[in-house]
Parts: sequence; C-alpha cells; structure tokens
Amino acid sequence: MQPMTEAHGAVRAARPAQESALSNESSAKPSATSGGTPRITVAVDDTRQMRALNVKAAVDNLNFYYGTHRALKNLTIPIADKQVTALIGPSGCGKSTFLRCFNRMHDLQPNTRYEGSITLHPDNLNLVGPGVDPIEVRMRIGMVFQKPNPFPKSIFENVAYGLRLRGLRNRATLAEEVEKALRGAALWDEAKDRLQDSALALSGGQMQRLCIARALATTPEILLFDEPTSALDPIATAKIEELISTLRDQVTVLIVTHNMQQAARVSDYTAFMYLGELIEFDEAAKIFTNPNKKATEDYITGRYG
Amino acid sequence: MPSLIDSDPVEGHTARSFDAALSELRLHLVSMGGLAIDQVATAVRALLEGDDALARLVLSRESMINDFERTIDREAFRLIALHQPVAGDLRMAKAASRIVVELERVGDEAKKIARFASRLAGGEPQGPVRAVARFLRNMADLTAGMLREAVRALDEADPELARGVTGRDAELDEEFAAALRQLLTLAMQDQRFLGATIDTVFALKGMERIGDHAKNIAEQVVFVASGEDMRHMKKGADAG
Amino acid sequence: MSVSAATVSPEQLRSGLTRRKLMDQIFVVAGLAVMLGCLAILAVLFIDLVRDGAPRFGWDFLTNFASRRAEKAGILAAWVGTSLIMLVTAVCAVPVGVMAAIYLEEYAPKNWFTAVVEINVTNLAGVPSIVYGLLALGLLVHQLELGQSILAAGLTLALLILPIVIVATRESIRSVPNAIREAAYGLGATRWEVTKDHVLPYSTGGILTGMILGLSRAIGETAPIITIGALSFIAFLPDAPIKSEFPFVSFQWLHDPFTAMPIQMFNWVSRPDQAFQSNAAAAGAILLCMTLAMNGVAIFIRYRFRKKINW
Repeated sequence: MQPMTEAHGAVRAARPAQESALSNESSAKPSATSGGTPRITVAVDDTRQMRALNVKAAVDNLNFYYGTHRALKNLTIPIADKQVTALIGPSGCGKSTFLRCFNRMHDLQPNTRYEGSITLHPDNLNLVGPGVDPIEVRMRIGMVFQKPNPFPKSIFENVAYGLRLRGLRNRATLAEEVEKALRGAALWDEAKDRLQDSALALSGGQMQRLCIARALATTPEILLFDEPTSALDPIATAKIEELISTLRDQVTVLIVTHNMQQAARVSDYTAFMYLGELIEFDEAAKIFTNPNKKATEDYITGRYG
Repeated sequence: MPSLIDSDPVEGHTARSFDAALSELRLHLVSMGGLAIDQVATAVRALLEGDDALARLVLSRESMINDFERTIDREAFRLIALHQPVAGDLRMAKAASRIVVELERVGDEAKKIARFASRLAGGEPQGPVRAVARFLRNMADLTAGMLREAVRALDEADPELARGVTGRDAELDEEFAAALRQLLTLAMQDQRFLGATIDTVFALKGMERIGDHAKNIAEQVVFVASGEDMRHMKKGADAG
Repeated sequence: MSVSAATVSPEQLRSGLTRRKLMDQIFVVAGLAVMLGCLAILAVLFIDLVRDGAPRFGWDFLTNFASRRAEKAGILAAWVGTSLIMLVTAVCAVPVGVMAAIYLEEYAPKNWFTAVVEINVTNLAGVPSIVYGLLALGLLVHQLELGQSILAAGLTLALLILPIVIVATRESIRSVPNAIREAAYGLGATRWEVTKDHVLPYSTGGILTGMILGLSRAIGETAPIITIGALSFIAFLPDAPIKSEFPFVSFQWLHDPFTAMPIQMFNWVSRPDQAFQSNAAAAGAILLCMTLAMNGVAIFIRYRFRKKINW
C-alpha cells in the first residue's frame, strides 16, 4: 500500500495563491519495483472526507501554443484510472485542444508547442515530452472522433487495421481479436453475419460503435472521446453512453462533451474549462448539485450572460 | 398574474421560459409566505382581542393557502421535468416543495388558533387565556417574527438571516415552558376551567409549532444558498 | 417588381417564379445546344476523315510499311512506334507524377519553397510543346547521348504530361476526407502507412483520370518528337522486346530510331500527290480510334475502382 499524501481542502486548479493544493504521488518518485498507479487524495463533498484516487495520467502545468497563441494555460488535472472523466465548457474553452494533447494529434499541424507534462502511469512516460515519439503515444492512447469516420473497407478490416499496424498477421488471431473488440463495443450481434460488408452500409450509431471497436482492438490505456454523440440521434446516443459506462472497467475514459446532461449522466469526474484554463475539477455529483465556483454554477445552470 | 416572459430575465438564464418559470416559482412562494404570516398575525389578534370577525376571516382564507400549495408544488415539478435544472436551480425546486409543506402547516395552525378564538368569543371561559396573556403575546411576537424573517430570507435569498432564525428556537421553547407552568398552577387551583385550559395549551403548542416551521423554512433557505443540509443537526444544548 | 417584405401575395409569388424559371429553361436549352453543336462538329470531322480514308482501310494498311506508292503505303511502323512511345511515356510519367504529387500533398511543409514549387508545376502545363522538344534535343539526344530513339521520345512526352498527372493526382488526393487520415493516425499509423493504406487506394480513380488526360494529349503531340528527330520514312520496326532466347526480354528497342502516327500523317499530308491525302485521313481515323481505345480501358479500370468506394 503506497503512502497517501494528505491534501488540504477540495481539489482546485493548482494556482500558487491558493491554499489548497493537489499533491501528486509521482513527485515522490515511486520505486521501480512498486507497481501500480499512484494515489492522491481528493477531498470531496462538504463533510471534507478524504477519498483516494488512482491516477492513470497526471497533467501538470500543461501549456499549449498554436504559434504564439497560448491555447491552454497551466492545466493541472488528475485523470483517474478506470474512471470516466468529462471535460465541459463553452465553445473555444480548449477542451478539444486539451484532449488532443493526450494522443499528440497536434503534432500533425505545424507550429505547435507543448509545455509542462502529462505523465502516464505506471511507467511515468511524459506524453508530451520532446523526446517521446508521437506514434508510440498514439499506439497506447486511442481516440473516437465526433463524426463517425470508418474506413471505406469491410467491417472486419476496419477493426483489424490497428492490429495489422502492430504486425499481427495470423488470420485466426485477428479474427479472435476483432470479435473481442466488436463485443466490447456492443456491435458483435449486429455485425457478426456481415463482417465482410462495407462499413459504410451501417447506420450512424453503428458506425460510431465500429469506430469504438476499432479503437478498442488495440487495447489502449486511455480512450479519448471527442464529442462522440453530437452527430447521433437520441437512441444511438443512449446506446453509446451505456457503452461508455461499461467500458469504465476496462479502460480509462476521457470524454469531451458540450452536452452537460451527458456529462452528468456518464462521468465520474468532471472538469469545467473556460478560455483555456481549468476552473473547477471534482466528482460529477458535486459539480452538478453544488459546485464551488460561481463561474461553474453559471455555466451549468445556463446563465451565460 | 402578468406574464414574466416578456420582461428581462430576472434570474439571468439565457432560456427565457426557464427564467420566467423560476421567477414565478419564487414569487408564488413569497406570496404564500406573506399570506401565512398574515394568517398567523390575524389569528393571534383574534385570540387576544376576542374578535370573532377576524377569526372568521382567517378561516375563510384557509383555502387560499391550500391552493397555493397545490400550484407551487405543480410548478416545481414541471420546472424539473421541462427544464432539467441543476445545482442552485435544482435546490430551489426541491426546497420549494418542502417549504410549501411547512407553510401549509403554518396555515393549519393559524386556522386552529382562529377556531379557538371563535369558541372564546362564543362563550368559552376566558380565564386561562387571560392568565397567560402575556406569554401568549410574547410567543406570538417571537413566532411571527421568526416566520417573517424566514420568509424575508427566502425572498432576499439571505442565508445569514436564515441562520439567525434557526437559532431563536430555544427562546420560543422557554416561553412555552413558562406558560405551561403557569397554566398547570392555574389548573391545579381551579378545576372548573380544565377544558379551556387544555384548549389554551393547544393554542400555545400551535404557536410553538409555527416557530418550528419557521425554522424549517430557514433551513431550506440555507440549503438553497449553499447546499448545506441543516436538518436534525443537534445544537450545543439539547433542544427540547 | 417591388414587394414589401412581409406581404407577398401568392399571385405575386407565382408571377415572379415564372420569370425566374424561364431563365432556368433558357440556360438548359442554350447549354444543350452548345453541347450538341460541339458533338456535331466532332462527328462531322470524324465522318469526313473516315470518308476520305475509306479507300485505304484494310489489313494491308495496318501491316505495310511506308512506301512511295500511296496504295501500298501503310502505318505499321507508325502505330508500333506510337504504341511503344506511349508505353515509355506512361511508365515514366505516372510513377514520377504520382510520387511528386504525394510528396507535395502529404509530406511537404507549408512554406515559401513549397509554394514556389506548386506554382511552377502548374505553369509547366502551359509551356509550348516545341519548347519541350528543344529541351529534349539538347539534353536527352545530345547531352545524355540517348540519340534519336524511342526512349528519348518517351521521356520527352513524359516531361510534357508530368504536370497534368501531378495536378490530377493532387486533386484526387485532396478529395480524400481528412477524417480518414485522422482515424488512421489515431491508430498509430506512420505517414507512409496512412498514404499507402488509405490515401492512395482511394485516389486511384483520380490518378487514372490524370493518366488518361495526359496520354491523350501525348499521343497527338507532333512538335516535340519531330524536334528530336522522328523519321518519317521508316521501313523497319524497332527491335522486338520479346526474344526467343535468354533473357527473353530485350530493351534494345528503346534505342532504336522510330516514327509515330502524327509524323506519318504530317508527311503524307504535305505531299503533292492527292492519293496520299486518303492515307493521311485513314491514319487520322485510326489514331482517333487508338486514343478512344486507350481512354476506354482507363475508364473501365476507373469504374471498377469507383464501385468499391463512396464517401
């Protein structure tokens, strides 16, 4: 059992002026032999009970620049292991920008720069570190996009592509992994009889589940969702939300959503961002019943001003 | 009631219909509170001055209180169903349903006091009432004051004022205990007025209960403001 | 007519609508007329050619070499030469053009240098073909000592159609939605894997279109190949590419002198003898057929590819 570091007060964005601080176990340098993810303590609800949080990725003072424009400002957030963390905020607050830092998608654009760190546990890899290969990062972190974007290939080939990239050639193993991924995405029953059919013949909701299966096939450590249901109808949305809930046990989920009710339904922890900064981070139940910051309350109750 | 949708959003929501619904809810709550205060004050005056006309006025307005209860409860319910409120707005909707129950019971207590006042005016012995008139007056002032402040705290969304109300319960209980002792003494001395004495005890108890309801309302105001649930919290000295 | 914004009666709507639809109809008619007119002109030209060349059509025409006697003159050397030149052109222009386009679209950083390159590629398409001929004469024929050969002709024409292939390929690559690339990158693919597995397969249609456009232009180009020295009176074929003994494939034919269809036609047309005019016309008709056949094959291949993919 790793020693827990006491933290005063509830979790806030780490600003030097504030008395409450988020302290991260990784600064204590866990020894190589002690496996597992580090724990930090988070004070939640008004009775100030301490509850421990297993951390999968620790974001520490992350800044991100498009050219000279600073899009993300000093973000410090713990991403809980095997939990769903939601990012909410108005348009332009940087939540998608933040999400794309996790799998280095910004590296595909010229003139982008990261400062600070996102430390992935258990091997303490800094995802945005200058010496870290973005391709390696993308092989460990999966992403599901806003508009379903399956490849114009068969359903089987879509799911198998990630595995082929990793050198898996054996037909039998591929078939097994594809089935596992499709089951994990709640699409197996609908797809098992038409694996060789074109993926583009599926409905919107099925396509999105296929994209989830495609991302799951490579057993990612973190699964990123960028507004996954904004292009779908309510029933498809409900199915995907239910799927995300079940995925919780297998993989850490980070989801960006502009639909607050979705964040309330689906997430364990919610972070509210505004203009590139973290305003508040806490358990979802706390944020939606009694948030600490007035800005958060104004946003979630619809008082945009 | 004029429509609030055409005016500027009072509560600040971008969605006007939501804003109007919330404003209307608050308005109705405060109106019901005002009516309840008035019922209590009038009933007590009827009792102390032996005015049967005032007593009948209280009895006739009882149905308005009940109408308010149904209306406000329905409005709160629809607010939740149609606008999916969260945080402060959700606490307001929840609290409105609870406050309405307290105010309805206040109205009930006022009705019982008014009925007692009617009976006194109609010939019931007035001895016991006169004996504890001073206590009755004090308790009436205290309790009406608590109720008035609780409703004002609700109107102005002032949790500090509300916290003040929750602390005054003890004083009311002391007055009640003293009045009770007085009545007991009287009853032991002269058994002719037993019936009237018992009625007077009930009237005193009713006022004590009104104070309790005022405290509950204040607790809800604190809940709306800060999410803190003050119900059933023990104070330093054991509350009677 | 002016109507107030809020109160337009149905009758007013209707009358305005009739006038607007009239403009629609006029354009349809005009467009149709123009298109039919162009087709008619083409048809007339073709029919004229066929009529003039009618006396010459026959197996002999296709298998005879050139001769001083019009009736005996055939286009064997010419159409073999044209075919071989087209082969070389295609083999040289398409891979180079496609790779250049891939580099420009997927790999090149967006800086001033790339912009300059892009502008110049499109400009190259407008360079007169005779200039290519001069370039080829100096560089390929003399400097690189390729001589007046099929290889030189093929390379010259490849240079000529390179911009067309590059532009068509680029347009086709651009039409691949970025979402597909993002999905592939998200799974951990390298840039080459994204290009090889997703971008190229889906842009094959456009690449083939570019190839069709380019080769159709090249097949009729006369100026550059005259400049580098196509002969007009050839009584032999280039060395056969398939041999009966080891190594069974020979590249000697690349270095042989040659002639081509446009050359042969030009030569016959300029002769005073009226009889040769029919030869020229017949050759022209056959050249048209060759072009159409080439296009037809490419269109067929494109159709087969396109059936499998739709966004």
